[in-house]
Amino acid sequence: MGLLKDFKYYTPATLKEALGLLKKSRNSLILGGGTFSLNYLKKAAKYPTDVVGLKNVSALRGIKDSKGTVAIGAMTTISEICASAVIRKNFPSFVEACSKLATTPIRNMATIGGNVASRFFWVDLPAVLISLGAKISIAGPGKEKVVSVQEFLGSKPPEKYILTKVILPKSDSLSFYFRHTKTMPVDVPSLALAFFASLNKGRFSGVVLVVNTTISFPIKLKEVAAAIEGLRPKEVSLKNVLRALNIDAQNLKLDEYRIHCLATDLESLLRIL
Amino acid sequence: MKNIKLKINNKTHELAVRDSELLIELLRDRLGLLGTKYSCLEGDCGVCTVLLDGKNVLSCLILAADVDGCEVTTIEGIAQKGGLHPLQESFINKGAIQCGFCTPGMILAAKALLDENPSPTDAEIASSLDGNLCRCTGYIKIIDAVREASQRLKDGK
Repeated sequence: MGLLKDFKYYTPATLKEALGLLKKSRNSLILGGGTFSLNYLKKAAKYPTDVVGLKNVSALRGIKDSKGTVAIGAMTTISEICASAVIRKNFPSFVEACSKLATTPIRNMATIGGNVASRFFWVDLPAVLISLGAKISIAGPGKEKVVSVQEFLGSKPPEKYILTKVILPKSDSLSFYFRHTKTMPVDVPSLALAFFASLNKGRFSGVVLVVNTTISFPIKLKEVAAAIEGLRPKEVSLKNVLRALNIDAQNLKLDEYRIHCLATDLESLLRIL
Repeated sequence: MKNIKLKINNKTHELAVRDSELLIELLRDRLGLLGTKYSCLEGDCGVCTVLLDGKNVLSCLILAADVDGCEVTTIEGIAQKGGLHPLQESFINKGAIQCGFCTPGMILAAKALLDENPSPTDAEIASSLDGNLCRCTGYIKIIDAVREASQRLKDGK
């Protein structure tokens, strides 16, 4: 026996075939890029009999630019996302998060679908995807459905499903991503802040600030967003924003370390704006 | 079992692999390519790095069945015309090798970088080696070696 216990490995070429295999199997695991799943299998007590690899499902690969959205196939790697001109042009905060996520070889292997489907709320992507209003498409036994990333991560996962794509709405917007790590840059963030806002006639609208506290599901800084909403960039006052942060911090029970990191990030944000 | 056909170091192989066999097991235990090392087996250390279709990846996190149709390069496959690759020579010249355990992974990660970006900055070199740990050198000499190799490759030496 090798490093992994035996299982039957299936490599379907179509989504329909993959869903059929999931339906038939009583104990299966879906394999995307493998950076989480294969590690999990090396230590898992509950072991699957069947592993369904999605590498050959070409429909799950690639980035499609449409009029109002950009759809990223679930098997698109993080490196491919970082290199995509359309993603770089439309979603700078997402590129920032993707380019800082883990290490170069992991980014060459890990997929966006695997990252979201693993439901790790403490890693880089959930907060930034929520701030951008991203949705995912899920294929399962019933009809394929579209749900927001926020709804998906905040609810019980559906059974025997395959995440097929991540959909990002395009808009004429500003987005930034800040992250802190405790030791090395390649670590998972100890705190991260994703900012998103549109500029409507020179005034901020639809301001969203999502914080990855790493100890809870990503949270929104509603008071800080309200302190920026409707203002022109030069009208935003750091004093008011920090006052709003204190109210958010009390409501959300943030500790001193996180408040300090967020205050630094907000100061940097206002300098950029 | 799965039948796969792939190129390893420019040589075509047709192999039957176990469904749960990892690429590192295939390379080391069956093909004797011992430059690819076992270590953390979690994707943290980078000593199992190989190039898969030109990208540096971790062979401890890839099923052998998934490399069907691909091109794999290990450290044994980068020597040129019977001599060492400029990266290998620069690692020796600059003292970027101490115990040597991380060196194959470092060189392959650096090769992936230089193939894509022949003139990287020091920050780009450091960033591209972020998945490879070295407990001996402190990285400075490794970065020096990659910088020197980049120049040698551009000069055609």
